[in-house]
Amino acid sequence: MPDNWQFVAGAYGLAVLVLGGYWRRLVRLERKAKSAGTRLRRRSRRLARSA
Amino acid sequence: MGFGVAPREITQGNVQRIMYLHVPTAWVAYLAFGTVFVASVAYLWTRSAAADRLAQASAEAGVIFTGVTIAAGSIWGKPTWGTWWTWDARLTSVALLFVMYLGYLLLRGMIEERERAARYSAVLGIVAALDIPLVHFSVYWWRTLHQPPSLMKPGPATMPPVIVAALLVNVVAFTLLYAYFVAKRLRSLRLEEEALA
Repeated sequence: MPDNWQFVAGAYGLAVLVLGGYWRRLVRLERKAKSAGTRLRRRSRRLARSA
Repeated sequence: MGFGVAPREITQGNVQRIMYLHVPTAWVAYLAFGTVFVASVAYLWTRSAAADRLAQASAEAGVIFTGVTIAAGSIWGKPTWGTWWTWDARLTSVALLFVMYLGYLLLRGMIEERERAARYSAVLGIVAALDIPLVHFSVYWWRTLHQPPSLMKPGPATMPPVIVAALLVNVVAFTLLYAYFVAKRLRSLRLEEEALA
């Protein structure tokens, strides 16, 4: 049977794309959640000071 | 390991190296959905937000790994079976598992009220997990084009030790990657909840 390297490269390449894409999404979500938390904390501190 | 250590398989040639991706991702999919099942039961029992977050994080990773399993299997099937897809019992039950957990994630996203979303998705997470044994045993219960399990079966392995070793190393590596993904998602979910609280 021929080696069909193109299928091997396709399978591993696709896996790298999907798993790498998901990892990037996780990094983005974490950054977004962190900055939202910081914004809210700042706002509540400002509100507490003005009250 | 799948490229450097494992030898070229005699009948299929180098295309068989897709197995070192396909089998570990399938194992991780089982693990991820098994975790969703346990976390969903724990949520319904205790109403713990941590259990709900674990179920969500694990379901997301499970869908990703199942997608990779299906795609890698399909790419492997073309040169060996002569088709990208066939509606045999193993492939159909895995596709069903994938669609059910995709539905699980959609359900979570559709319901705004946090507690209700957690409750409904926990029920779906438990019901969908019933498909896992069906997926695993489908190759024994029905006549399928898909081969029986290579690793997760009773008795000694029928493959050469070097192939088993390469496969096991990849299983461990993908399991660690799954754990990393879940830990990272849990962290962002916790931060989101803290920001909303």
